[in-house]
Amino acid sequence: MSHLSVTPRRLAAAAVVLAITGGAAACGPEDSGAKAAGGKPAKGGTLYVLNQSPQEDFDPARLYTSGGGNVPGLVFRTLTTRNRENGADGSKVVPDLATDTGTPNKDATVWTYHLKDGLKYEDGSAITTADIKYGIERSFAAELSGGAPYLRDWLTGGKEYQGPYKDKGGLASIETPDAKTIVFHLNKPEGDFPLLATQTSFAPVPKAKDTGTKYENHPVSSGPYKVVANENDGEHLVLERNTHWDAKTDEERKAYPDRIDVRSGLDAAVINQRLSSGSGKDAAAVTTDTNLTAAELAKITGDKELAGRVGTGHFGYTDYISFNPKVKPFDDPKVRQAISYAVDRSTVVNALGGSSLAEPATTFLPAQESFGYTPYDAFPAGKSGDAAKAKELLKEAGYPKGLTVTLTHDSSGGDEQGPEVATALQDALKKAGITVKLEGLESSAYSEKIHGVKTEPGFFLAGWGADWPSGGPFLAPIFDGRQIVQDGYNFNNAQLDDPAVNKEIDEINKLTDLKAAAVRWGALDKKIGEQALTVPLVHPVYKRLYGKDVKNVVISDWTGVLDVAQVSVK
Amino acid sequence: MTLLTRFALRRLLAALLVLLVLSIAVYALFYVLPGDPARLACGPKCTADQVAQVRTQLGLDDPALAQYAHFLHGLFAGTDISTGVGTEHCGAPCLGFSYQNGEQVTSLLAQRLPATASLSLGAMALWLVIGVGTGVLSALRHGGITERLLTAVTLAGNAVPVFIIGILLMLLFVSVLGWLPFPSYVPLTEDPEQWAWNLVLPWLSLAILESAKYARLTRSSMLDTLSEDHVRTFRAYGVRERSVIGRHALRGALPPVIALTALDLGTMFGGAVLTESLFGIPGLGKSLVDSVRTEDLPVVVGLVLVTGFFVVLANAVADVLYAVADRRVVLA
Repeated sequence: MSHLSVTPRRLAAAAVVLAITGGAAACGPEDSGAKAAGGKPAKGGTLYVLNQSPQEDFDPARLYTSGGGNVPGLVFRTLTTRNRENGADGSKVVPDLATDTGTPNKDATVWTYHLKDGLKYEDGSAITTADIKYGIERSFAAELSGGAPYLRDWLTGGKEYQGPYKDKGGLASIETPDAKTIVFHLNKPEGDFPLLATQTSFAPVPKAKDTGTKYENHPVSSGPYKVVANENDGEHLVLERNTHWDAKTDEERKAYPDRIDVRSGLDAAVINQRLSSGSGKDAAAVTTDTNLTAAELAKITGDKELAGRVGTGHFGYTDYISFNPKVKPFDDPKVRQAISYAVDRSTVVNALGGSSLAEPATTFLPAQESFGYTPYDAFPAGKSGDAAKAKELLKEAGYPKGLTVTLTHDSSGGDEQGPEVATALQDALKKAGITVKLEGLESSAYSEKIHGVKTEPGFFLAGWGADWPSGGPFLAPIFDGRQIVQDGYNFNNAQLDDPAVNKEIDEINKLTDLKAAAVRWGALDKKIGEQALTVPLVHPVYKRLYGKDVKNVVISDWTGVLDVAQVSVK
Repeated sequence: MTLLTRFALRRLLAALLVLLVLSIAVYALFYVLPGDPARLACGPKCTADQVAQVRTQLGLDDPALAQYAHFLHGLFAGTDISTGVGTEHCGAPCLGFSYQNGEQVTSLLAQRLPATASLSLGAMALWLVIGVGTGVLSALRHGGITERLLTAVTLAGNAVPVFIIGILLMLLFVSVLGWLPFPSYVPLTEDPEQWAWNLVLPWLSLAILESAKYARLTRSSMLDTLSEDHVRTFRAYGVRERSVIGRHALRGALPPVIALTALDLGTMFGGAVLTESLFGIPGLGKSLVDSVRTEDLPVVVGLVLVTGFFVVLANAVADVLYAVADRRVVLA
């Protein structure tokens, strides 16, 4: 089996330079100006989506999406959705099936929604709140695993409920007093509930049409497109207009193309090569899962036409160093502070492909207002590290001659937690007298080790992105003491259980004014940051190519990538 | 009973035994290796309770032996599984249900087999033509400049990894010349012409990689046969050179080529991962890598059995062809 010896990821890396050279060569003489931005978007045509990962489990209960996802959002409408606008406006939550983003009771434990008029499925039948309740109940079934875990934690009785197949009684904490009203009863205040209601599990599923694990082959559409073909378990998906979708009920999705053809299982380098050369159908193609690598980007920047077809997006994500203060010498705050001062963020940025693909970070929260971004730099390391200050702290901590530590990282090349970043840090810490030994582990072994309370190393690379743009899902899983998971995946790597932090998280969750909450999240981030439990390194930036005929490119800060619901190819 | 039926029966029994041993080996390996398929199916943010429910749902709570017995039962008698709203029957030979997406393994394989078969068989035809042709030509031009040139070219083809060949071919034929579309698999039953056009580059990439071996092998065994006594005798009797080469020398040189083809073809059914990923062909190889990564045991077992079956089948066919090519060989 000699063909198995090289992984596809390596293949992609090796093929990159060749691929883009070809793309650029092919585009040279033919194109005189940037067409992508010009012209008014119009209805019609077929949009092609070229992806690496297939749309497996195309079932609203099994999909784990942020803001309803990209391709799934074409078929599944939810109570609320993300605002489909460029930049920061795009990280706001807006109504979708519902008339507003929800009415809370006084302490944000009861949320009520009303459906808009004239909502229909692809077969013309009316969408009711009972179907939304049923869709949510399905997401609790073990047969349909894979979705987001929040509802299980938030809904009263959610922990015990096993889904509608085993438990015919249904979830009493979701009430549907009439076909247009739905009421959720939560076991604790959650001001972020409107943001959760964007997730695909909030899509309606008509009970009579439920085919259990087979539903993914032909889910009943509530969105502008319906599934007409699903081949090879989501590897090839063909969507056509859902004639019963009424644009008047949907202010968000533009739905210009008549047909959307999603082809997956492609190699990353091939996708970018096809998008850059844009021959034939590929002129009307986009990708929803393939970023440009540093090498590809360098090649493209030199070509004016190609450079005009690169979308830039910011998704709320932070790459950081994580400490486990239960492991020596990281129990000593001075050691953690010394490392915080010693890091050289400019070499980390370079390791990830340069300033166009990564921005230096000194806060744990992403640099976006919706998360509550409040600038701070608790241990100013400057651009390239403050070795003198680090040495001084080490001396105070009892290591006048420096110390030797082990940094655990993912061994996959090109990964944000990979060997490139690890060696960049190794070099920087060397200047401060800290000898770093590297422990590179294969992706799944690395992941299991850092997320197990008992196996967690003291010093390792990590990354975190939130399920929606708010401080809550960004800070709580990492720093809430009650979220330390003893017998499963634990994300509170510092194993911080500080009553003051826990209390503040509870207090902010009661706020239904998201702007006021954001300010408090920012302040909490700053307060935790001073404890040097993590060293924020960078926030990644996404760069993606799109085809020559693609118009109306919208990239929100919620997803950081081109929105397929807004694109036009005519 | 004719010789051929006895041969076929004996081979079939041996094949079943091989496949059974293979399935036991994969099951054993699976339980020795670390990892939790229920956790992987559920997702990283699942709580311990949810993972436990998924584990029960997948039948991973049962002892390993019981799970294997259940697998065998499904294989010979079929089985039923709950879809939540009802049950779904999986008729014999049922290879079980994928942990990751709850689909029947047999239907997953059936969806992917045509793509892999298209890729492998087409590539094989091409590499045999290129490889054997080059080999014969090299043997006939032994010691000359043509031979040295051909050796250099085929070796170069063999030395370059398939994804480099593939990318270069795409560059040339798609981006620069624009003669071919970017390969995107079209089933034979849907559109035979598009099927072929879209497979030209994958076939060519694999053929370039493989044909060097065949050229070298054909060349050396041709040279061996040409220097044998019976060939000299044929020539002495005045048999025409074309007949000496085509009917006698080539025939004598074929058995090792047949044996190698059988092995390569069998391997390609589960192993052309790089070619499949590069050209986006929804074949078995890619699905093997994915299912190993996600510890999707039923799919892994199914794929190993199918690949194993084709290796055994290809070798049995090779043995028959052996006897046809070389009359001294007796089927046993």
